[in-house]
Amino acid sequence: MLPVNLEKRKDSGMFGDLRSGETRVIGKRTPRVDSIAKLTGEAIFVSDMAFAGMLFAQVKKSPHARARILRIDTRKAEALPGVRAILTGDELDYRVGLYMVDKYILAKGEVRHYGEAVAAVAADTTAIARQAVDLIHVEYEKLPPVLHPLDAIREDAPLVHPQLGNYDYIDTAFSPIPGTNICNHTKLRKGDIETAFKRSEWILEREYTNPSVQHVPMETHVAIVSWKHDDQVTIWSSAQSPFTLRNLFCMAFKLSHRKVRVIVPYVGGGFGGKAGIHIEPLVACLSRKAGGRPVKFTATREEEFSLLPCRSALTYRVKTGVSSDGKIIGQKMTMYWDSGAYADYAVNVTRASGYSAAGPYEIPNSWVDAYTIYTNKPFGTAYRGFGHVEFFWGIERHMDLVAHAIGMDSLDFRKKNALRPGSVTLTGEKIEEHTGNVLTCLKAAEKAVGYGRLTAGEKKREQRSGMKIGKAVVALHKAPAMPPFTATGVILKMNEDATVTANLSLTEIGQGTYTALAQIIAEHLRFPLHRIKISQETDTDRDPYDWQTVASKGLLLTGNAALLAAQDLLRKSYELASQILRAQPVDLDHDKDKVFILHNPEASVTFREMAVGYAFPDGRSIGGPLIGIGSYIAQGLTHLDKETGQGLPALDWTYGAHGIIVEVDEHTGEYNILKVASVFDVGKVINPDAVRGQAIGGMLQGLGTAICEGYIYDQEGHLLNPSFTDNKIPTARDLPLEVESMVVETPQLDGPYGARGVGEHSMIAVAAALGNAIQQACGAELTHMPIRFEDVWRSLGKKEPIDNWITKSPFGSCKSAPEIRKNRPVQ
Amino acid sequence: MVRITVRVNGKEYTREVVESRTLLHFLREDLSLTGTKEGCGAGECGACTVILDGQAVNSCLILAAETDGSTIETIEGEAKNGKLSRMQEAFHNHHAVQCGFCTPGMIMTIKDLLRRKPKPSRDEIIDGIEGNFCRCTGYEQIIEAVLDVTGQLGKKEGLRHVR
Amino acid sequence: MIHDFRYVRPERLDEVLDLLSDRGEKGCVFSGGTDLFVDIRAGMTTPDYVVDLKGIESLHHLSFDKKEGLSIGACVTVNELIQHEAVKKHYSILAIAGRELASHQIRNRATVVGNVVTASPCGDMASPLLCLDAEAVILSNKGSRNILLSDFVTGVKSTTLRPDELVEKIIVPSRMIDATGGYKKLKRIRGHDLGVVSVALLKRKDTLRFAISSAAPTPVLLPDFPPSASVEEVQAAAQQAISPIDDVRCSREYRAFMVNVFIERLMKGAE
Repeated sequence: MLPVNLEKRKDSGMFGDLRSGETRVIGKRTPRVDSIAKLTGEAIFVSDMAFAGMLFAQVKKSPHARARILRIDTRKAEALPGVRAILTGDELDYRVGLYMVDKYILAKGEVRHYGEAVAAVAADTTAIARQAVDLIHVEYEKLPPVLHPLDAIREDAPLVHPQLGNYDYIDTAFSPIPGTNICNHTKLRKGDIETAFKRSEWILEREYTNPSVQHVPMETHVAIVSWKHDDQVTIWSSAQSPFTLRNLFCMAFKLSHRKVRVIVPYVGGGFGGKAGIHIEPLVACLSRKAGGRPVKFTATREEEFSLLPCRSALTYRVKTGVSSDGKIIGQKMTMYWDSGAYADYAVNVTRASGYSAAGPYEIPNSWVDAYTIYTNKPFGTAYRGFGHVEFFWGIERHMDLVAHAIGMDSLDFRKKNALRPGSVTLTGEKIEEHTGNVLTCLKAAEKAVGYGRLTAGEKKREQRSGMKIGKAVVALHKAPAMPPFTATGVILKMNEDATVTANLSLTEIGQGTYTALAQIIAEHLRFPLHRIKISQETDTDRDPYDWQTVASKGLLLTGNAALLAAQDLLRKSYELASQILRAQPVDLDHDKDKVFILHNPEASVTFREMAVGYAFPDGRSIGGPLIGIGSYIAQGLTHLDKETGQGLPALDWTYGAHGIIVEVDEHTGEYNILKVASVFDVGKVINPDAVRGQAIGGMLQGLGTAICEGYIYDQEGHLLNPSFTDNKIPTARDLPLEVESMVVETPQLDGPYGARGVGEHSMIAVAAALGNAIQQACGAELTHMPIRFEDVWRSLGKKEPIDNWITKSPFGSCKSAPEIRKNRPVQ
Repeated sequence: MVRITVRVNGKEYTREVVESRTLLHFLREDLSLTGTKEGCGAGECGACTVILDGQAVNSCLILAAETDGSTIETIEGEAKNGKLSRMQEAFHNHHAVQCGFCTPGMIMTIKDLLRRKPKPSRDEIIDGIEGNFCRCTGYEQIIEAVLDVTGQLGKKEGLRHVR
Repeated sequence: MIHDFRYVRPERLDEVLDLLSDRGEKGCVFSGGTDLFVDIRAGMTTPDYVVDLKGIESLHHLSFDKKEGLSIGACVTVNELIQHEAVKKHYSILAIAGRELASHQIRNRATVVGNVVTASPCGDMASPLLCLDAEAVILSNKGSRNILLSDFVTGVKSTTLRPDELVEKIIVPSRMIDATGGYKKLKRIRGHDLGVVSVALLKRKDTLRFAISSAAPTPVLLPDFPPSASVEEVQAAAQQAISPIDDVRCSREYRAFMVNVFIERLMKGAE
């Protein structure tokens, strides 16, 4: 039974009061709950941890992209004093994998990418372990690597995984093609594409590409594992997703979940790169071999680039049919995702990108083939945006190029085709009023940058600088990519002083969700915010389940579980109070300190009195510790039909838009970003500063991949820029001269207080905004990102684009094959 | 091994250290002052910034042995008597922290900057923190925190609602 | 540090020179360490011992007088240089280029002499110093020698310095005090980055002098031009003198192109 105050609010749903707009804590400026520990240096990250008897691990890595391992000689390393355990692939027969179980803990028989782990050592010090690793001699027979996905799908291509047909995988979501390098083929078929093309007045086909990039969390991957007797394994890791890590670990080693404990303290950034399972199994095996002593492995910055995963490269081909009045009638989209040597998240990036591939536009007839393709390169994983940053580079460049070709303003073209209530998405989902409003986002961005004209000041600036100013507005969308049954739990424990401690296992990796959750709980309990604590360290032995900290789904799913837990805590408080006060729960109400009888407020009992059980004056007692439990599972989602891609994959759609102003030197290709204005339909702002932090932080991360970031390989598959020396990331000086952050609030009906996630969205489409504005300013037609000054210069001079993503290879370049033709439409 | 004596956050320490040990690892491992972080080990990211004899430096590129007789300031010395420094307070108020891994180095860099330039312009702040990578915040809220603490933050635009 | 070594910190110059003369090839001298420790960490160099020069008072000397010119001791940091009043006033090109070198933290440690001795083609200090006719004063047990920096650097990370020798200081002649000029550097981001290609210009009453970095194995000093020289003339000479390469940072073509752009900007005094 619900307490009366909750029933009164029932009309606004169980997800908080959406209508009154009167909130105490929600939507208000408040500091982060975790910043003091971080500001004082007291926050303990795994990289700061040490245990008695702890050993240090180092890894021997492959210098080749593809090679047969003929022999590994560890004798000299074994003889080194202080070495406690050495492992090679020969003695480890465990395969690990998130969706496709395709990866050995250490390479067995063959190495499949540059930087792959071949052997490992645990020793008393890092220096000894390093020395031991250097003493391990590996004999290889080099094999020709396959580096580009378009090479890898040719019939004569060497197979990265000849055993693909034998691997276990999640068959409800993925479709590998055994005997090829295709580890997943996602299909989507909606309407009648061929007829649509016949009816189109214009057909435009282009190809867009981007290289792999590195997440660059400031804290590199780090884990400490101790594997004790009776297979009692404890893992301290900088992981984003403790329960998924535990699950995959237990599956790989066939251990019961009760034996494995994963603890995640403060995490120094993740961005998707720490979402699955990575170094933990190897460190665990070293500990087991060293007799259970804790072993620590801290990746170097260089190892982040190739031992650990990156973001997949993409080649995206889009063919669009447009009617005479500028409506998209049909679109065929083909994605070649470069998985690298292992499938990891790349197969799911492919799937999620496949069903979002057209952007926030209505395409009545659509056809998607999205392939995840093995190559001999470091493997791809989740990265903020989960494929959308990559394919939005293509789709939002394409929208501009199509508009130019048909002589229409590109923003008008976007508005004309934007999803709106009544539209149907690629997977057949109907958009409603409450889904969110991409048009409002577009208009806000348009206004913020003064799209379509130059101000007097801007004209003056052009004259002064000799540069040309260009403006662009792009749209974006993303839904969480997750299984339809994604679930989470929150436990709220009332402390003796009527403060509340929340246990949950969504991790705080910087995104600010813990602060938002504290606000949601405080709001619902009517408690002051300072009385809520979100336990920082997550521990699978102690905290309730959460699937993963990914996909911008934490605020909605864990937020709802927190609301339910708060409801449960109140319900139990009311039940107890009803006995103490001799009143029915429906006649009770509460404030921040006490539960009281509605019509007789003097009859009350405080939360303090009830927190751990209520004692009557004579000592007899009732109740017990007040604990609220909230479990929530995504509602109404379905698997997608494997042949047509139809179904309901989206928990929520967060829409957004970026407006950008850029000035370009037409002679040299140099450019400056003068302004970026970003707007997102967040449903409801829980914490304005946190939203703004996500908006600006993600935007700059997106600009990083737009401006300079990217893996560069030689033709043998060696990574040539695995450090900050040649893989720059934006500094403070790279911030646009002006940034503006805006929100639209179209409440999400099943979001906590109407909120939806916005963690990834700021990074999406900003690269395309830059590309479009550059083209608008100077005419450079770029189809490959990042956009280095040189690329603009080459494009302007109509020189052949340089291709140093795989140097001196005819593939992987930004070469596009523009095919623009006017059709004779068939009515 | 060499014997060194250093003054860290006002406290004197004498230790035997391995000669090849960096100041960063000396602070973190020998003195258990783990507030200072390692982001790259190669002087590019600034996460390891400490103030050595009055100057901001990357502690990953300095040997502990070099610092014998020096005065070192690290993040652990910033909050005093349970009270945050004004800069820490401003970071707290402006959400200038996300994952927190770059934060200690950033705070030390700004402390040094404000000693040299008590009222830095926006551009001077940007130039001053150029050597500190932050992957989370996009720097804007950090810049605002510095402007605020130096009394230069006008009306903050903040997050704008549109309909 | 992954590699172990001995650390020595002599307090007298002759101790250093004795050490270098005994077993110079097994050790490295350093002051800032901003290149050395990066290389040791990366396993690119594995010295048995490192010699910290900072204990030697005289090497910290940064001085200017109208007769002797500017003297930059081996331990003078880039920040000390660019903040020095005489440098800002008389050798502004050094201050301008020095500000472009890495981050503030690095400039607090990195030395001007170290940046030259490392002899990386993308070092920021070499090209302005070449323009200024700077000389290295080199000491060994056997005596001292002076060498023009244009003769000192011989290739990528190679110089005429012998294992038993030490660069005590760099001298910038006083006749250059009237010089003005500029320094243009192509980077991949707005923030700190090594020079993808860079050009220094020294302007004197009767001459224009250009030096180019990251466009050949060593910094390239062009022959002097009269102030009346045309942009095209200088560009043509520059293109003759450089031999840029393709690498992960840039293509040969764009490097060559940007050299011309920077020459033009410097000559026109544009930003």
